[in-house]
Amino acid sequence: MSIFFKSPIDIEILFDNEESRKHVDVATRTSNSSYKSMKESLPVYEDGESLGGIVTLRVRDGKKVEHLGIKVSVIGSIDMIKSHSSGTSSTKKATSSTSSTSSNVSADVRKNSVDQFLCQSYDLCSAGELQHSQSFPFLFRDLSKRYESYKGRNVDVAYFVKVTVMRKSTDISKVKRFWVYLYNSITTAPNTLSANEIQSNPKDIKSESNTADNANQNKSIKGAQGGAADGNQVLPISHSGNEPKPVRLDIGIENCLHIEFEYAKPQYSLKEVIVGRIYFLLTRLRIKHMELSLITRESSGLQTSNVMTDSTAIRYEIMDGSSVKGETIPIRLFLSGYDLTPNMSCNYFNVKNYLSLVIIDEDGRRYFKQSEITLYRTR
Amino acid sequence: MAYADSPENAIAVIKQRTALMNRCLSQHKLMESLQHTSIMLTELRNPNLSPKKYYELYVIIFDSLTNLSTYLIENHPQNHHLADLYELVQYTGNVVPRLYLMITVGTSYLTFSDAPKKEILKDMIEMCRGVQNPIRGLFLRYYLSQRTKELLPEDDPSFNSQFIMNNFIEMNKLWVRLQHQGPLRERETRTRERKELQILVGSQLVRLSQIIDDNFQMYRQDILPTILEQVIQCRDLVSQEYLLDVICQVFTDEFHLKTLDTLLQTTLHLNPDVSINKIVLTLVDRLNDYVTRQLEEEPNTTSSNAYLDMDVFGTFWDYLTLLNNERPDLSLQQFIPLVESVIVLSLKWYPNNFENLNKLFELVLQKTKDFGQKNISLESEHLFLVLLSFQSSKLQLTSPSAASPSPRITSKKYFIFQLISQCQAYKNILALQSISLQKKVVIEILDILMDEENEESAENEPESKLHPPGHSTPLVIEDKLQVQRLLSICEPLIISRSRSTMNAASSEANIDEVFFNRHDEEESWILDPIQEKLAHLIHWLMGTISRKQTSKNISQFSLEAQLEILLLIKSSFIKGGINVKYTFPAIITNFWKLVRKCRMIQEYLLKKRPDNKTLLSHYSNLLKQMFKFVSRCINDIFNSCNNSCTDLILKLNLQCATLADQLQLNEISYDFFSQAFTIFEESLSDSKTQLQALIYMAQSLQKTRSLYKETYYDSLIVRCTLHGSKLLKKQDQCRAVYLCSHLWWATEISNIGEEEGVTDNFYRDGKRVLECLQRSLRVADSIMDNEQSCELMVEILNRCLYYFIHGDEAETHISIKYINGLIELIKTNLKSLKLEENSTSMITNSIDDLHITGDNNVKANTNIDDGSINTDKDTNVAIGSDGTYIQLNTLNGSSTLIHGIVTTASGSKLLHQLKYIPIYHFQRTCEYIESQREVDDRFKVIYV
Repeated sequence: MSIFFKSPIDIEILFDNEESRKHVDVATRTSNSSYKSMKESLPVYEDGESLGGIVTLRVRDGKKVEHLGIKVSVIGSIDMIKSHSSGTSSTKKATSSTSSTSSNVSADVRKNSVDQFLCQSYDLCSAGELQHSQSFPFLFRDLSKRYESYKGRNVDVAYFVKVTVMRKSTDISKVKRFWVYLYNSITTAPNTLSANEIQSNPKDIKSESNTADNANQNKSIKGAQGGAADGNQVLPISHSGNEPKPVRLDIGIENCLHIEFEYAKPQYSLKEVIVGRIYFLLTRLRIKHMELSLITRESSGLQTSNVMTDSTAIRYEIMDGSSVKGETIPIRLFLSGYDLTPNMSCNYFNVKNYLSLVIIDEDGRRYFKQSEITLYRTR
Repeated sequence: MAYADSPENAIAVIKQRTALMNRCLSQHKLMESLQHTSIMLTELRNPNLSPKKYYELYVIIFDSLTNLSTYLIENHPQNHHLADLYELVQYTGNVVPRLYLMITVGTSYLTFSDAPKKEILKDMIEMCRGVQNPIRGLFLRYYLSQRTKELLPEDDPSFNSQFIMNNFIEMNKLWVRLQHQGPLRERETRTRERKELQILVGSQLVRLSQIIDDNFQMYRQDILPTILEQVIQCRDLVSQEYLLDVICQVFTDEFHLKTLDTLLQTTLHLNPDVSINKIVLTLVDRLNDYVTRQLEEEPNTTSSNAYLDMDVFGTFWDYLTLLNNERPDLSLQQFIPLVESVIVLSLKWYPNNFENLNKLFELVLQKTKDFGQKNISLESEHLFLVLLSFQSSKLQLTSPSAASPSPRITSKKYFIFQLISQCQAYKNILALQSISLQKKVVIEILDILMDEENEESAENEPESKLHPPGHSTPLVIEDKLQVQRLLSICEPLIISRSRSTMNAASSEANIDEVFFNRHDEEESWILDPIQEKLAHLIHWLMGTISRKQTSKNISQFSLEAQLEILLLIKSSFIKGGINVKYTFPAIITNFWKLVRKCRMIQEYLLKKRPDNKTLLSHYSNLLKQMFKFVSRCINDIFNSCNNSCTDLILKLNLQCATLADQLQLNEISYDFFSQAFTIFEESLSDSKTQLQALIYMAQSLQKTRSLYKETYYDSLIVRCTLHGSKLLKKQDQCRAVYLCSHLWWATEISNIGEEEGVTDNFYRDGKRVLECLQRSLRVADSIMDNEQSCELMVEILNRCLYYFIHGDEAETHISIKYINGLIELIKTNLKSLKLEENSTSMITNSIDDLHITGDNNVKANTNIDDGSINTDKDTNVAIGSDGTYIQLNTLNGSSTLIHGIVTTASGSKLLHQLKYIPIYHFQRTCEYIESQREVDDRFKVIYV
């Protein structure tokens, strides 16, 4: 923010019913790393939802302000850390154009927009003079939002409304961010994830009915489902009418450890509970404890300069002490309490989730096995 | 999250967090308090704590969690819903705190009736699997068990039992696993830790027994098989021992009784190292207690003997045989206690069934033979000792309580007696043992049998009056066979000594040793406690047999039967060889008793039915017969002991003779006397013993009354005096002869109605008396030793005075003149004694005093009071009847024998004092004479 040049106009953006909307806390990373833990509360919108509000322009000290027109726009962009996106000149331009506002727009200054997948705007009023404070309602009807908001280490998916007062000199603009959740239906759409190892049998996809098993999922999704088909979220494979097939993994170190790691299904909604078990077939290892962790892997950049970042979202001890042959250790992990990221995929980046079973033996050695699971958001 | 580094810090952290938790709770900040709780619970993750320390932490935490639980219950559902909380706490990252919280919240939820109880319980117990560390897991599951204690659904016992059993099984697994963790060298530590933790596992079984109540069907079908299966499967020593013990302890006796088969079968499948006997003993204890309780509750035993319908012994018996077949490796050390416990059982359940015992003993016998009797180790020897002598404290045989179904079993004594007389196998086992062990056992048995105090108390018990008279008699010997059995048991004791020498003789290497041993044995009269015990046994046996039977159905032993038993005893004890010298006197004494009894019967018959000649003659024959037996016994002693106990034989002969004399059997009496003389002549060589024997003979003879006929008496006393005068030492001769003088001067025996002055047919011959005295005086005079001579003369003077008092001068021929002459002679001799010694004026003085003013009592007394003699008074010397010097210690009244003539330096002082013996003796005699003057005028003419 410029301290010395006070802008002559105060712009305030208020969304309709903003106070009563669902909000989500997002950690903001300012330039000073010490403010890392600061949180910002953003209203949540979903795909296809209209976005409306009021823009209030206040003139300072009763001064008249001339302008060339006032524009409101809604922008969705993918931001990445510069070094990864430096190759593309076109994006550079875009970044420079928004540079003045970037401090407001995105929490991380290091990140630059690489793609504006959404940009709608219209004029609120034509060129003229603002003599006193004035409010303008705005509305973007049935706004389609392709991607879910995301804030990762290298990549952000950010949405914001921007009001620009165009002037002869410097434009005055104000940005207001909002957050987007995409609720997925498991009944719709093929998934975009090709790398998913845990493919379930295609035969299972017989769609059409909503049997009791996934009734609540179906229900919740049907109500609000629009065009999330091409969103960034990886969709779970449909299992309508059939039990999801449990995932069973044989894990072992020869002559030392042999366990069976089993969990109920390969996809979980963020509200679900991971239920599974570990069956010990052979243990010669003196295990100290065993953990189950959920790792979120963000890989960003284009094919040539791919950057992967892992972050552990959940760390959950499931066993204390060493087990013996024949023991079964139950696993139950509630996901809803954690701030998780559903799987996402787009040209610039993708986010995948892995369940990781970590065994720590008494000598401090760690053994682990990762297995990808798909997380998706449901209402 | 980290845990504290030391237990002390851990406690501090826990207390601090508890305080914080409580504060947050009071402010209704539930989330924060849960946070604190979680941190507090992190302390329970510490792997470095010993079970004890861990338990300390656990206890504190348990209390804190109780607070939390109370809060949760009070505020549900106003401030929170426990179902939500149950989910919420599962976000806890670490498994141990998570589960504690889950259980706390879950059990709080259970208190509400709308909670899905079973689901929560199932879930909790399932999730507990997450803790696989033994110690932490055990405590966690214990926590679960404690928390759910009151909260299990009431309507579904089978669910509850499944729940607890599930917990139990998992706990047991963890517990067993603890053994196999950590390095091998810490095995001992592990075992110790496991013992500390065992109560946690056992508590589950206790819980189980609480919820099962009296649902036997469930117990039999579900619970017991599962538990036992678990116990067998774990194949762990500590676990199997402990759990079976707990099973035996916690479930009711009725259950055990009905599932006895299953329980016993289980023990067959245990780890071979498990000591089965402990388990069986526990079980037996339970069953025995059960019987006791049953009896106490239902005194009328006839009605409630349902439990007796079961063949408990049969079950155990089958089990034992099976065990013996399947586990031939089972050592005697293990097997014997097992059998012992079954014996205990059998005794309790079937107190009168000795057949069972016999069976058991046979089994042991078989087993012992299988192992080879040579291989009986020291430990098992001890076990045998315990088994055979019934030292086991479990063996409570004293059950004369009011409810006892068997009034016959009155004491251990009775039991053992029955056992001996009815169980052949018992004897056989005993015979297999080493001699020393056999001895120990038999001694033990005898001690029990002859325990007088027990007998007394049994008789004095006030209760016993309420019972049939048969009850109060402690022990009844019913027939000869029993005696025979008892004696055969005692055989090792009877023949112990000679056997050992025989064994030694078999090895030729130490033949010298054998020789010395034999020598020692023959000569030594050291008291042998074993033989003493046997002698006691003889008396006890005869005493028991002859005891008056108050009970009608048991006939008293007739005299003949008693005699028969005595002969039986005799024939068994004669095997003892040299030992008869200890035991036969007891037998002989018993013969005497019988003789007396026989006599009593005879007299009774004479009074009541004097016409029944045949019966009378039967008894007189019996009498003679018995004397013959006695004579035979004496001969046996003589034959087996050679010369070592002639003294004893002599005395026995004399006593027999006296007895026979008292019964007017002069022939027999004479015979015994002549036997005594034969012994004296042929075998007694020691001069001291000879004198003693003569004195003894004279004493016996003087009391005889029946021998006057056919001049038996005359010849015997002459022979006696003759022997006396032929003794080696002159002083002995002298003494023997003056003592023999009494043989011609019979005195009254008031017992048989004689009275001095009334009875006129005393055997008295004054001439002979005087002859004897004169002869002894001659001998005394001829003795070279002056002191001895004087002393003897004084003694003779005393005899003279005796006769002087007791008879007229005409009768006794002891005249005043004779006495005066004797006194004169003594004075002269004492004077010469004084001449011998003139170095000390003191002695001279005293002798002068004696000489000059012998009749002056006062002066003599002043001399004694002079003080000069006082020094000598401290150590006074006297002379015994057999001529030995006795040093009298006036200070404490004890006396010491001085052997022979004192020649040592220390005795030289004593030597001086020897002179005073006759002097003082004479003084005393003179004083006596003077005092007699007052009552008897005749003494006035005796000059002293």
